[in-house]
Amino acid sequence: MNKTTPIAIFIVVLLAAGGSFIWFVESSGSSGSTNFSATYNSTQLIVLYANAEGWNYNSSHPNPTLYEKTHVLLEFKVIEQDNLPHTLTINPGINESSTNTVLSVNIPAVTGSVVWVNWSFANPGIYTYWCEVHPETMVGKLVVNSTSSNSTNASVVSSVPPQVTNLISYSSSVHYKITVRDEDDEVW
Amino acid sequence: MGFSFVLAVFGSTIAIIVIMGFLLYYFAVDYRKGLLGDTNSALPKTESNTMLSRMRRELSFSAFMMDDSKSIGIRYIVTSIVLFFIAGLAGIGMRLSLWFPNPSFLTPIQYNILLTAHGTLMLYGWAVGGILGLTYYLLPTSIKLRKDSLGTVSSIMYWMYLVGALLLIFSKSTATWYFYYPVVDQLTASGGGSYSFGGLIGVMLILTATITACIIFLKMIFIDRDKSIRLSSLPLFAWSVVSTAFLIISSAPVSMIADGFLIYDLINPIFFQGANGTALAYAIMFWFWGHPIVYVAVIPAFGLIYELLPRFTGTKIYSYRAGVLSLLLLMVLSGTVWGHHLFNSGLGTVWDLIFSTTSFIVAIPSAMSVFNWIATMWVGRVRMSVPVLFIINAIIDFIIGGVTGVMLGDVGVNQLLHGTYAVTAHFHFILLGLTTGMAFATFYVLFPTLTGGRNYNIPMAKVHFYLTSIGTWIMSGFWLVGGFAGMPRRVAGYFGIFQTYQDAAAIGGVVLGIGYLIFLINFLYSAYKPVETGTGNALEEEAVA
Ligand code: HEM
Ligand code: HEM
Ligand SMILES: [Cu+2]
Repeated sequence: MNKTTPIAIFIVVLLAAGGSFIWFVESSGSSGSTNFSATYNSTQLIVLYANAEGWNYNSSHPNPTLYEKTHVLLEFKVIEQDNLPHTLTINPGINESSTNTVLSVNIPAVTGSVVWVNWSFANPGIYTYWCEVHPETMVGKLVVNSTSSNSTNASVVSSVPPQVTNLISYSSSVHYKITVRDEDDEVW
Repeated sequence: MGFSFVLAVFGSTIAIIVIMGFLLYYFAVDYRKGLLGDTNSALPKTESNTMLSRMRRELSFSAFMMDDSKSIGIRYIVTSIVLFFIAGLAGIGMRLSLWFPNPSFLTPIQYNILLTAHGTLMLYGWAVGGILGLTYYLLPTSIKLRKDSLGTVSSIMYWMYLVGALLLIFSKSTATWYFYYPVVDQLTASGGGSYSFGGLIGVMLILTATITACIIFLKMIFIDRDKSIRLSSLPLFAWSVVSTAFLIISSAPVSMIADGFLIYDLINPIFFQGANGTALAYAIMFWFWGHPIVYVAVIPAFGLIYELLPRFTGTKIYSYRAGVLSLLLLMVLSGTVWGHHLFNSGLGTVWDLIFSTTSFIVAIPSAMSVFNWIATMWVGRVRMSVPVLFIINAIIDFIIGGVTGVMLGDVGVNQLLHGTYAVTAHFHFILLGLTTGMAFATFYVLFPTLTGGRNYNIPMAKVHFYLTSIGTWIMSGFWLVGGFAGMPRRVAGYFGIFQTYQDAAAIGGVVLGIGYLIFLINFLYSAYKPVETGTGNALEEEAVA
């Protein structure tokens, strides 16, 4: 055996292990650990129907403007309506942007599919929620106001403009009932 | 990781230079000639490969440029050791970060990246890769291979394995080694990440390489072994390879199909998403391979114990037939127990009970092997050399791991222990004590051969043994106790009441790390030693020098 072989292997092992460790923990660019869901003290359920014509197209307010608060866990329940692929993408600002997103999830293209995604905002501002497949039709605004500390549940509810309350069923605790379709009950 | 044009140009330029340098070197240096002499190196490749694979071969980077079985074995061994240290450092990092109940120096995302890297690299990179390496290295001499063909295929498969392992490292996926559907497809920063693409393709590449290598092993054993070796006297190590190879070939493709669907799902989720109830289908297809892979990690280690014990006790193995039977039973039975990972996933009571029963039954062949080893040691005279210490430790750790496994296999107990550190303890006992322990024991046995006639430093090797043995006990032991108290696994932070267990386990992790580092230093130290012994080793008496 060549004398350099163990030395080389030793160095390779140390460099590979150390280098990989740094690579693993290094925060990765724009989508890195800066984008954390903020801490929260209450939760809010938001139901959105994904339809290529527009979010909640069959309701009285398609593509509703949502008014929310910082430090509230927003629980988006996204329901597929038309068998087409959709995403729920949220980015800061009034324009759609797929590079600087807060979150982006795929919605399965099977009618009735439900995707849950939770987020709580740390910073107030205007955000855009949209579908990357149907950016023209499926796009709405999400206005996030800052929470005055220890705001009670009631004040959060009352700050929601009346026209959107029918879309947002507020739940004051983390517990809510998930409705399971009948077929899912069968024992395999 | 934002895409950067400059980086791409820069990176590909460097890659091209490296590849060209490698090719120039490859064509300029003829290692065959050095090893076989002028006349033999001119023989057709299969013949010269066969001659090469009968020799005692030492570690050398020329292995990366030749494609006889021994060279391929050396490639896999070196690569899997590097991957072991990468994944091990990730494991120790996780352990240390869990010193405090609140996530300390690792954020939850970073913790999940490390968790995924550790799980995938340890299983696919170290356990599978190390086993492929030892098999490629040891099988030709143990069955006196007549014809070493298909070298090119083995070589290509090695490179696929390497690229797969690199993809696993670079992907930074957070989906854990399961790649379960909803987790794998969260495109948020804190979800599974689009990075899962790289991880999944890496797994697919490694599985392809593994399956192909297993087919080659079966061909070696059943078609190309020397005719003087009958099936009834095939070495037990070769039997363990048969068992492993059939297990892999019959179960890995199912998981690969699931991975293929999953990759499509990342683009348009229609196969495994929750709404039509098929999320469970992925879990089933995954565990159909997920359980066999853990046995893939132990059966060759069984084979190595069967081979090494007689050589260190001076007797024959207590019962050859029981050994073969146990290895083949393990092959059949461990294909039937995968449902015990899904007790809490709604397979239904009847299925749960069936899988619980098969899990109990699979303990029987495992115990057959254990008693066979104990009987062999009982009959013979045990010399306490370093490999024997590892073997004894492996047997004890396997008993602990097996017993906790059977406990987990009880549906009722599983309700309590599923998702706790008791599971993590169960498999680290086996994977650290048996799989990793036997791999290192074999490295020590092969040490003179691999280093061209140098001995390892025995005190250092003993320190390596005691540190890793004790470290495993501290780490897995406290995990086990904490797990019974309900300590959840796979979390970056925990409730304060568990801090004692977590801190003790962190100490165990550090002790383990120091132990493996000492192995590395021992190996480095051998470079500065003169050649002192022959290049023979206990496992390959027949090989030509
Ligand atoms: C006596 C035979 C064994 C039985 C009955 C058994 C049983 C079990 C059960 C029931 C679980 C699931 C625990 C849970 O998640 O609730 C489990 C997990 C596991 N077992 Fe075993 N086991 C056995 C042997 C082994 C062996 C030999 C290995 C190889 C190292 C192994 C590795 C694992 C691993 C890696 C997991 C966890 C997988 C994961 O969730 O990440 N087991 N075992
Ligand atoms: C160097 C010593 C090792 C240390 C310090 C270590 C540490 C850890 C830690 C801290 C975890 C995460 C526990 C959790 O959060 O649930 C873990 C998980 C795991 N380890 Fe190890 N480990 C070591 C060796 C090994 C070996 C040798 C193998 C396999 C050959 C292995 C396979 C696994 C697997 C499969 C998991 C589960 C990953 C998952 O839950 O997705 N580990 N280990
Ligand atoms: Cu299992």
